[in-house]
Amino acid sequence: MSNQSDDSCCSPKPCSDANKLALVFASLLLRLWLAMRAVQTGIEKFSGSKASQEAVAVDGTANTYGLTASASVKHYALDNYHGVPQALMEKFKAEPLMNETMLRLYDRALGPALILLGITILLGIASRVSHFALGLLYISLTWGLILIKQDEGVAWLGVHMIMIVAALALAGHNRFVLLKKW
Amino acid sequence: MKTESSVISRRDFIGKTAGGIGAGLVLGAPSILRASQDEAADKIHVALVGFGKQGKVLLDAMSNIPGLHFQAICDIWDYNLKGGIAKVRALQGHTPKGYADIDEMLATEKSLDAAIVATPDFWHSPHTIKCLEAGLHVYCEKMMANTIDAARAMVRAMEKTGKLCQIGHQRRSNPRYRYTLEQLIKGKNICGQIVNINGQWNRAVSSSQDIGYNPKLAIKPEILARYGFKDMHQFMNWRTYRDLSGGPISDLGAHQIDIFNWFLGVSPKSVFASGGNDYFKTREHFDNVMTIFDYETPQGGVRAFYQVLTTTSAGGGYYESFMGTEATINISERSAYTNIYRESSAPPWDDLVSRGFLKRQAAAPKVQSADAIASYESAAPEAYALPGDLSKPPHQPHLENFFDAVRGKAALNCDARHAFESEAPIYWVNPSALSRQPINLTAEHLSV
Repeated sequence: MSNQSDDSCCSPKPCSDANKLALVFASLLLRLWLAMRAVQTGIEKFSGSKASQEAVAVDGTANTYGLTASASVKHYALDNYHGVPQALMEKFKAEPLMNETMLRLYDRALGPALILLGITILLGIASRVSHFALGLLYISLTWGLILIKQDEGVAWLGVHMIMIVAALALAGHNRFVLLKKW
Repeated sequence: MKTESSVISRRDFIGKTAGGIGAGLVLGAPSILRASQDEAADKIHVALVGFGKQGKVLLDAMSNIPGLHFQAICDIWDYNLKGGIAKVRALQGHTPKGYADIDEMLATEKSLDAAIVATPDFWHSPHTIKCLEAGLHVYCEKMMANTIDAARAMVRAMEKTGKLCQIGHQRRSNPRYRYTLEQLIKGKNICGQIVNINGQWNRAVSSSQDIGYNPKLAIKPEILARYGFKDMHQFMNWRTYRDLSGGPISDLGAHQIDIFNWFLGVSPKSVFASGGNDYFKTREHFDNVMTIFDYETPQGGVRAFYQVLTTTSAGGGYYESFMGTEATINISERSAYTNIYRESSAPPWDDLVSRGFLKRQAAAPKVQSADAIASYESAAPEAYALPGDLSKPPHQPHLENFFDAVRGKAALNCDARHAFESEAPIYWVNPSALSRQPINLTAEHLSV
């Protein structure tokens, strides 16, 4: 027990080199996870699926009913963009506390904001501010989900918040960054 | 494009234009200019009457259909109206005219060809009749009306005016349904004798809640009263009120009971129903309804059971199941709920599979079950699937059929008369459930 407390970086004594390395790794892993989560979530907002238009052959000839091959292909395009999923959008619009103009702005900004913050966190550009901004973004999402009583989503975002707080707590151990300031 | 008489004049126009193009080619006229004029003349000018949830669904489906010009939108709710105008502007690049009142719209917009009616059920008949009498072709959402007499009036108006009136039973134009009926049931007789039908639309409580609204956007009480709503809650939730709709049996069930009647090709001889307010106790309409229809077909008797439950999603969503002596077809608007099962005693379907009429599904694993009494059990049926899917929004083929008919290129797949013949038995479900008595359906019940 005494050895553990000596090595702990929570103690007033300086960390050992081994623990410093562990904390650098912890910081890096959190950073990578949060960055990937944000970037890919943002990119997915540009995804859509395209159904096959190929008419299936029945009895040797293309059918005339309009039956097409069942496969659908996922693709990404600017036209597919939807910040807030349509089903949730309708519920939010019905909420008296939700301002529709702000909701529309939020819908437009959400995807790009996630991608931008994910990239700044990944590259280590103003990591503290970037993590803080991502935290604020998740708080805004949480507020929306509280309004429409999506408790599972709120809990899920709560886990994200814990990870962001941990990343901020480990900010002193953040390495491989492009802009250390802020 | 103009109405019926103008369909003919449009043809004349095209004939003359074709001649003009020929002359133009000879004379070296810029044929590209002529082509763009033809395109403009061939546009169908459309009014959207009612732009709530279903109006948006229909516009989304129409956004993929070329040659439409959305000229006007009519909705009593400013919120819907502005949303519709913005959506159409984004789609076609210029702004449609907005109206709160249909009479004003019809009096002002003289160049309309067609109207898409997606208002609450109790407005379907008055709105459809107004549009038909104004010379427009009409696509009206199902259920035709909230009362059978109002539906009868729609058929009479269609036949009196000579205009087209398509009712929104969109499965009638769905390639999967048409293929199943024409190729598999009639063509290949894969079911053998159809002896029973089972259909359902089961929806969870969470999806059946009252629809909310932002009080800041509420419609003024005097406007609501003018259009038959006592308050905003009734406006948003008209489907749950007896005077405004037929309730879940018509709201959800009409699509599927229509398929029963369409596939069998006859109307039922009787209906017996039971319903209750089992969960949503204060709603005027039953939240759960179970119905049995009796049919007499040339092949023999058929009983059809249909249930609509707005209190549970148990049993796998919505589908219609046609049970025959040789096969059962479970079909649904959702491809995932569609399966075809061959009875083990039926002739093999290897030839149908090899020619592409059906796809064989992966065989279900055989399980040795200690609780099965072998001598009482049938062998498990083999599962098959349709050879293809619909790659468009489900309403699009039905709307395409409507606009093709407006252009004189097709017959309607579900005009008001055929829709009435199919919908008429549905109007007797709630009376049967309320009286707890079977109703024998006579010509008086089912005819216009």
